[in-house]
Amino acid sequence: MAVKKEFTKGFWEVLPPFRLVLGLCPTLAVTTSAENGIGMGLATTFVLVFSNLLVSMLRRFIPKKVRIAAYIVIIASFVVIVELLMQAYFFPLYKVLGLFIPLIVVNCIILGRAEAFASKHGIIDSIADGLGIGLGFTISLFALGSVREILGNGTWMGLHVMWAGYEPFTFMLKPPGAFVCLGTMLGLINFISLRMEARKGSK
Amino acid sequence: MRDIIRMVVVLTLICAASGFALAVVHDFTKEPIEYSRLKYVKEPAVKAVLKGYDNDPIKDRISIVIGKDRYGRPVKLIIFPAKKAGKIFAVAFETSGKGYHGDIGVMVGIDVKHNKLTGIAIVSHSETPGLGARIVEKSFTGSFKGKSLAKELTTSDINALSGATFSTKGVLAAVNKARAIFKRYHAQIVR
Amino acid sequence: MSLGDFLLFIIGAILVNNILLHRFLGNCPFLGVSQRMDTATGMSMAVIFVMTMAGTITWIVQYYLLVPLRIEYLQTIAFILVIAALVQLVEIVMQKTLPALYKALGIFLPLITTNCAVLGVAIINISEEYDFVNTVVFSFASAVGYSLALVLFAGIRERFALARIPKVLEGTAIGLVTAGFMALAFSGFAGLASH
Repeated sequence: MAVKKEFTKGFWEVLPPFRLVLGLCPTLAVTTSAENGIGMGLATTFVLVFSNLLVSMLRRFIPKKVRIAAYIVIIASFVVIVELLMQAYFFPLYKVLGLFIPLIVVNCIILGRAEAFASKHGIIDSIADGLGIGLGFTISLFALGSVREILGNGTWMGLHVMWAGYEPFTFMLKPPGAFVCLGTMLGLINFISLRMEARKGSK
Repeated sequence: MRDIIRMVVVLTLICAASGFALAVVHDFTKEPIEYSRLKYVKEPAVKAVLKGYDNDPIKDRISIVIGKDRYGRPVKLIIFPAKKAGKIFAVAFETSGKGYHGDIGVMVGIDVKHNKLTGIAIVSHSETPGLGARIVEKSFTGSFKGKSLAKELTTSDINALSGATFSTKGVLAAVNKARAIFKRYHAQIVR
Repeated sequence: MSLGDFLLFIIGAILVNNILLHRFLGNCPFLGVSQRMDTATGMSMAVIFVMTMAGTITWIVQYYLLVPLRIEYLQTIAFILVIAALVQLVEIVMQKTLPALYKALGIFLPLITTNCAVLGVAIINISEEYDFVNTVVFSFASAVGYSLALVLFAGIRERFALARIPKVLEGTAIGLVTAGFMALAFSGFAGLASH
């Protein structure tokens, strides 16, 4: 089914931020723990799905010349809604993610999908696209957050998982660690992609 | 020309719809947001000064007007009541006093029946680490517990911090301000 | 603020709390345009210009529009619209008055709208409660810090063209690892300006 394809591509072909190299700022900043990674991922997914939905619904009405401005208003509105909902019902997470929640509005993934996909496809496909990519992003953030949390803090999702005498590698929690970790994971993903392509090519 | 009109109309409609939607969501979330803010930012301090209550002081909070700011707008104070079986036995609210490096925010707990302090907790300060910042220590804040509010408190009533007179005085100023507010608005506070 | 405090404030913004290497703002264009020196310098100039103006104007919007009307919750949408409009305006004006510079900046100018560093700094100005002068200075200094990191990075990456890098690390991956070591170097400035 075509919809399934639009949904699943978000988990590999167009996986952010590794294969779709966008949305790096929040990736580096909030992945100090697995839980924060999930929180940010879900908030971004919320905005992505609804903005894709609205852009797709209005795609025939928005004149080409003002489309970017229109997309920005739509995306920004959903970001404000997420901000308000988080302050009301998920306050501790809101405090931890801080500055990066309003920054969802300039997360290139969202504007990118609105322009590249939602403005040219139907509603169901656009929702699938948004949901797939959003959840793929969430998984990436969760993975990176897990690595940094386990190595840098000895915990995972708040629970101690390393042996008793483990000295946390706090480098992982600081900015340099974030860059190095993400770079290494990206290298790993590239390795896997090249392997997969080689295998496909040799068939 | 038609194009320009179309662009303006579409953008205006989108902005209007957005404004409307956001105003609705904002209205809807105003209460939960205030509750969350208070719960996560002030509750630890409230819990430190009020004990033995069976209600939710944050949920049962009341707001009284204690004056006007320079724009003429009313200045509100939030009072957190501690109740047992529906009756208020203590209240907590925040006041501030000038310390060495700026305002010191103090959460003051008052036993309403016996007119004495149930305790204090330092909410915010920018005092010098190792000197004025020691106002957060239990040996300092604990010395306020149980003190009567019949008269204003002075440094001799509590465990003043040596070498940090300004910080100590700042906390005392905040406590005495709380005492004055409690005296003046007693009826409203203990509704 | 005394002159000494002021200088520390500026150094803090440029080196210690470098918005890119310490606060994680502005990464996408950072990794995208830093492969060559000329693109890096072009982006830098555009960022310094737009960030300083954006920081200033958003500050005015916050305190003269959002706060008096009690609509602070609309900060995000108001700020991004201001930034987008500002960039559009700058593009139009520059095309007419400084065409050479406009050509030099190329596509980097419109790209700045989605640079999270610009919106990020605008928000930080408000959350740190800077007054007007501090806002202008902080916006400018942050942009300088960003440009510094960007240009240094481009210098390093230009050398990569001649180095042998494992295929899986080519491009963005090695860029990130390098940025990590730069961040490590910059974190050495931490004791320089204590808040």
